[in-house]
Amino acid sequence: MNRYFAATLLVLSPLSLAQAQKPAPAVKAPPAKASTTKATFVGSEVCGTCHEDIGKALAKSPHGAVDTSDKHGFKGQACESCHGPGSNHVESLSAADIRNPAKISPAEVDKTCLTCHRNQSTHVGRLESSHASNSISCIACHSVHGGTPGVGAPAGTTSTQAALRPLVVRKTADINTQCQGCHIDVKASFAQPFKHRVPEGAMSCVDCHNPHGSFKPGMMQMVSANEPGCYQCHGDKRGPFTFEHAPVREEGCQSCHEPHGSQNTKMLVRQDVRQVCLECHANLPTLPGQSPRVTGVVPPAFHDDLTAPRFRNCTMCHQKIHGSHIDRNLLR
Amino acid sequence: MKRLLTIAALCGPLLAQQAPAPPAPVAPAPAVTAPAPAAAPGESPVPTNDENWLTGYIDLGYRWETGVYGSLSTYRSIVDLGSGPKLLGTEFTIKNRSHRIFDQIDVRAYDWGDEPYESLHVGVRKAKLYDFSANYRNIAYYNNLPGYADPLFGTTGVILNEQSLDTRQKMSDFRLDLLPGRKIVPYLAFDRNSSTGTGVANFVSGGDEFPVVNLVSNSTNNYRGGVRIEMSRFHITLEQGGTTFEDNQQLNQTNGTTNYGNFFTPLFGQTLSATSIGEAYGVNGHSIYSKGLLTANVASWIDVYGQFLYSQPQSTVNFLESSTGNQVILSQVLFYMGEQSIISAQSKMPHTSGSLGAEIRPLRHLRVMPSWLTDRLHTAGSSIGQQNLTTATGPASIDTLLNSALATNYNQAEVNLMYDLTSKITLRGGYRYVWGDATDVILPLGGLAGLEQGKMRKNVILAGGSWRPFQKLSFNADLEHGSSGGVYFRTSLYNYDKGRVRARYQLSQSFSLMANASVLNNRDPMPGLNYDFLAHQESASIVYVPEGGKVWDFEGSYTRSTMRSNISYLDPEFLITEQSFYRDNSHTVTALFDFKSPGWLKYKTKLSLGGSALLSSGSNPTTFYQPTAKLAVTIAKNVSWISEWRYYGFDQSFYQFQSFRTQMVTTGVRISR
Repeated sequence: MNRYFAATLLVLSPLSLAQAQKPAPAVKAPPAKASTTKATFVGSEVCGTCHEDIGKALAKSPHGAVDTSDKHGFKGQACESCHGPGSNHVESLSAADIRNPAKISPAEVDKTCLTCHRNQSTHVGRLESSHASNSISCIACHSVHGGTPGVGAPAGTTSTQAALRPLVVRKTADINTQCQGCHIDVKASFAQPFKHRVPEGAMSCVDCHNPHGSFKPGMMQMVSANEPGCYQCHGDKRGPFTFEHAPVREEGCQSCHEPHGSQNTKMLVRQDVRQVCLECHANLPTLPGQSPRVTGVVPPAFHDDLTAPRFRNCTMCHQKIHGSHIDRNLLR
Repeated sequence: MKRLLTIAALCGPLLAQQAPAPPAPVAPAPAVTAPAPAAAPGESPVPTNDENWLTGYIDLGYRWETGVYGSLSTYRSIVDLGSGPKLLGTEFTIKNRSHRIFDQIDVRAYDWGDEPYESLHVGVRKAKLYDFSANYRNIAYYNNLPGYADPLFGTTGVILNEQSLDTRQKMSDFRLDLLPGRKIVPYLAFDRNSSTGTGVANFVSGGDEFPVVNLVSNSTNNYRGGVRIEMSRFHITLEQGGTTFEDNQQLNQTNGTTNYGNFFTPLFGQTLSATSIGEAYGVNGHSIYSKGLLTANVASWIDVYGQFLYSQPQSTVNFLESSTGNQVILSQVLFYMGEQSIISAQSKMPHTSGSLGAEIRPLRHLRVMPSWLTDRLHTAGSSIGQQNLTTATGPASIDTLLNSALATNYNQAEVNLMYDLTSKITLRGGYRYVWGDATDVILPLGGLAGLEQGKMRKNVILAGGSWRPFQKLSFNADLEHGSSGGVYFRTSLYNYDKGRVRARYQLSQSFSLMANASVLNNRDPMPGLNYDFLAHQESASIVYVPEGGKVWDFEGSYTRSTMRSNISYLDPEFLITEQSFYRDNSHTVTALFDFKSPGWLKYKTKLSLGGSALLSSGSNPTTFYQPTAKLAVTIAKNVSWISEWRYYGFDQSFYQFQSFRTQMVTTGVRISR
């Protein structure tokens, strides 16, 4: 533990030092003081006189519609719909007189965005997403002004990353780049040999996850109302089966598979199928009326040759392991 | 700029004459200065006359795959890129200046030309009238891994992976939103996914299994329509949909051919064989489903949300089977030379889910978020079958009638409190109670799955927080401690601790760092189980973009991941307790350098070097290297020469026979406009 603590200190101390030693601006402005006058709306055109590049980018983005639509009551005031009334800022030209979502708390940012985007099809359950509870605000992923490379892109991003900062990232490869910017560990999982084809650009993270929240653990996408998103592609595993394999329904595909990638064939959680199965199927049968602590009965004794290479995969015989339409033992 | 500032400064007195605007929504303030005319309602904000009507690029090229050294079937299962002419990618946008019929069409297509993953996207939209998108993907699924079959080929004569597939999966989806941006937005959507191809599957009889050719063909169609109602205080989404599904699988072995599954060791004095096999599954299914979502801002201090989801898929099955040879029903020690089976089955699965929640803000810095959800799924099935046997003593018939049910009810209640301690520190704490029950029964009882029942009870304490000491440095942490009174499976989360910490630091305009660490420790001390699982991952990444990436930039990451799992299980033959160990200790590195030629060079050049490397040890030691190099040289105004080199090196110590290495070169041109 001490070793980790020391390493953390070692890593962070030069950074803090570097921050502390950062050269001061040539002319340090006095602390801005917010105006006490109640601000009023001035309209997007006024904002655009100074913030020309942002104004143009905004006009090209879907948020440009806020200026031309009266749906949200901000017609002609798209900028101020998020930044608040701007008259004081126009007068003083002080940053303290305008609300900057990049500098306010994530909860306040979300509140601003959700004023309009409360429940659109992709925003279902925003309130219950782990992104929200971890203070990851909307603007961490969405460039509100969008559209122009570099505009709205946080400093420190590569030119490639900056170029892919539209309001909503839609290209598969760009979505993956964006998500992996934070989820480094998941990115590493996709360097495994057996994986979903995410690095190849055949799939994106949002094919399986809804970043705005979901009913399912892991913010998993759902299809056909409440079925796991896996069945969007793996329709043959969906069933319903006459004879179900209970873990598939009760704990999901992750019971046996590592969806982000594995060193084991078929993305299994163990190198041999036998291990995957026997770790659960190891309970003695109970008498009727008794309730075992966990389910999963040990196979009958005729399974006597499981160490033989030929039978190390239980699925060699129990091939309909995801559920069978016709056989209670999942054999066909 | 000075002029703009002057104009802006002049705006102040003019604005002072305006009446204070009421809280939003408000009437638009009169324009004070108008450097450009406002866009008229209904006008698309996108095109202007000074823009090209067509912009985009197309990448065309040829790839040479220099040959695979090692296991070709593993290469095809993991990489599967081939030689030949390719449409590497194209993206273009058509803007309609007249705005008739459409405003803009976006087209993106990647990896066409007998590639393992081909994709196409078309988006067409007209502001305030419609928004249409279509996606198509054609993905090759080739899976034939020697390591998944018998690794000791010589021992039994089995040379095939008996669960291999060579299929193409085609997925398409179409969606049409009407009146986007209005308060009431109807939408229609259609999705289809299908899979066709061949493979190897097993014909399983009482005492043996026989690999046979498998023809795969399944498809699912999903139709749905709904409406989004977006008012200022509440949003509602209502959706109704349905699916159709079919799965027609056929296994076939021609009469008289030798099957590799033939079992030559005598069983009760006889050897087992199959001389002909035929199996046909005809599975048809359909479902209806409904979805209702509500989110409302009831008052300034409370938001509420709820979902109601219902689906009822059902399927019917007709199955035919015939085989000849010498096989056995072990339970009756009944040998037979031929058999025919007919089975009809049906099942349905009503599935209801719902949730309710709220975000309550009683104080300025405090948010309370209670939530409740339930997920109830009940499958009921029945099958009726008849098996006719030809035995040495004459014909025999076995009838079966089975009924099955699987019911699982999941419930969760949770409350979270978030408190903004300061403007830079947010703390979070919460409690979650999870309970449920599951029953799995097949009547009459018998076989592996008879009657099983389970109960789940979990108490989970949640904690976390985020700290932003200054804008460019942030930390957030998530902690979870759970203890259970019951779980469904031996490997389920029982008494566990889960944690995750993330830090992001933007050291300067050009340099940022990120670090993650996560841990999961799960223990179930039940005698005979003794499950002990520990996994942790530590990751770090850096992005360095000196001078805005004009000359070069770099991004790289490193992840170390370890996993340890110990669990007891019973040997099926003698019911002796044994141990299952699994270990993994892996290092993963990814990197990407981009170099750009200096401005004075005649031909603009961009060189990218990078890739990933995985090195692991433990239960399945693996190395997987994927370095790449890309070069793009602008040779004319709109033409670039592009080329790429890739290397794949894969090795598994315990399965040397499925290692491979290969490299490939792609070259082509990019034409852009």
